[in-house]
Amino acid sequence: MSGLLWLGSLLLVGLAGIPLAFHPAFARFPFSTRIVLAAASGAALVSFVMTAAVLLAIPWSVPWLVAAAAALGAALRLLLRAPARVGVPPARESSGRLLLLSAGVLSAAAVAAALAATVAGAATSPDLLFFWGPKAQQFAFARSFDASFMRDELHHHMHAYYPPLVTNLGAFASMTAGRMSWTGATLTFPLLLGALAIGLPGMLSDGPGRARAAAIAALTISAIAYLGIEADIAGNGEMPLLLFETLAIALLLSDSASDGPTQLLAGIFLAGAASAKVEGLPFAISAAGLFFAARPSAARPFGPTAARLLFPMVAMLAAWFAFGATRRIFFGYSGYGRFLDLYPDHLRAVLSAVSRSLWTTGHTLPWLVPLVCVLLALPLSRRWILPVGIAAVLTAFFLFTYLHRAEDPSLWISWSASRIFSPVAMLLAVAASLGKPAAARP
Amino acid sequence: MLKDDDRFQPSTPNSPLFPLIGAALLAALALAGLPWKEGLFRRPRTLFDRSAARAVAPGYALVAAAVPLIPAGATVVVRTEPRDPEAETFYHRFADALLPGRRALPASFYGRFAPPEVSRDAQYVLIVGARPIEPPGRLLLETPDGTIWQASPRGPDSR
Repeated sequence: MSGLLWLGSLLLVGLAGIPLAFHPAFARFPFSTRIVLAAASGAALVSFVMTAAVLLAIPWSVPWLVAAAAALGAALRLLLRAPARVGVPPARESSGRLLLLSAGVLSAAAVAAALAATVAGAATSPDLLFFWGPKAQQFAFARSFDASFMRDELHHHMHAYYPPLVTNLGAFASMTAGRMSWTGATLTFPLLLGALAIGLPGMLSDGPGRARAAAIAALTISAIAYLGIEADIAGNGEMPLLLFETLAIALLLSDSASDGPTQLLAGIFLAGAASAKVEGLPFAISAAGLFFAARPSAARPFGPTAARLLFPMVAMLAAWFAFGATRRIFFGYSGYGRFLDLYPDHLRAVLSAVSRSLWTTGHTLPWLVPLVCVLLALPLSRRWILPVGIAAVLTAFFLFTYLHRAEDPSLWISWSASRIFSPVAMLLAVAASLGKPAAARP
Repeated sequence: MLKDDDRFQPSTPNSPLFPLIGAALLAALALAGLPWKEGLFRRPRTLFDRSAARAVAPGYALVAAAVPLIPAGATVVVRTEPRDPEAETFYHRFADALLPGRRALPASFYGRFAPPEVSRDAQYVLIVGARPIEPPGRLLLETPDGTIWQASPRGPDSR
């Protein structure tokens, strides 16, 4: 019961996202999608307000945090102008009802599998107990980031520099519920996957048609569910990261990506990703950069677009690093050596260990099945540059990271690769939506 | 000049089929991979009972059982019997997580035995596994996962 209370209290962050997500610019999205957009943007805003409050020496309180984040969302809304063509919900297709129903059933089955695995204790990530949860719990006690706890050498394994969003939201829920709930924390996996299953079809449907959008959403949800169960991601930072990344990519691939409100919301989700896990930063930077190559018309004028996509992330990470630097706890992200100190002789071992890790995660099928769908959708529209390009950048970044360790990195890779490569599976699934219509093919 | 070349048109009627088949395959595998034969609908004892990390379930259960026995502000160490520095590293982290307000001292750290003096003064000792031959103090609780002890006060000559 306390787990459900802890989990339910997270819904409060959605209040902070309502001013933005219910801007007229998003009227083209179904109500269910806008609720998910409100929840996700509210989560990012609440996390930012929590970090800023620590910098300003203001103790956290739940009502104050929600009100301040909602005020921030309302202020951002004032900056937005509704686009000339205010969105109209896509017309309902008379055909394809069976396909829509099938896609819905498959998404529901995948979420049910994630829920069953989590409740059965078959998908829990040890990282929840190692650092995400203890930090969230301690910060809730302290109603702030507890600098002495973070500095303690016995807590070195808790990675003080890891970005704050996951622990902030865990602390928020713990303050609301009165205590940390470990079960509740694991249930964020099916909860956020379910949110994605509800929100994603409506975001994809202005492109490839409702039936195909629903099918692509079902593919994405099923890939994440299977991968998440196999790689034990319940309770760690993977699912929040995947939620923000998927929503951001869906917005940037949409027909409305040229609109300022869409770009700002995508920027907030990219900021959420960068604030959730370290690898969210290369995702967000490459997404913003590749948007200009994949959608040059939509990206004009370049300056304001870059500001909308990048400013939220810069603000959120600046607040976090300002905290670390002013308390002399951390001054950036830590690595296993200097930036360009690589061990290229480890490349073969790294590639072998990564292959083994992905193979042990459902025989690599969470990546291979979306890849096959991409190949079957060829030729792709120019938008493919965005998801496939990000997947390539992330792959290069992960290999670069693994080559940094002087010792044999095989053990490290064995327990991390399948998790950190999970966004690649999502990106391939979304890329499968970008096939050119038959009429446009040569 | 760069241009978007990609205004979408409605796709061919059968185009959703491939992603749908892919989704069906992955959803079926996700469902098939659930621990049906391990009593899927039976409430687990710990969060790790049926996960890949199930080997740490006894340590989790013992540390969770210690919550009502160890007062706030006390120091505690978790050991294994026989000694296993990998497992002790994990259980030290569990103690940090599940025993907030207490001070968890490591018997092992990063997979290596910590110097004995690091945890010598722990007021409570949790031993995952068999009951030790030499009891470290007064037994507070014994479970199938191990034992929980209040350490004997140390004399001045033992420091």
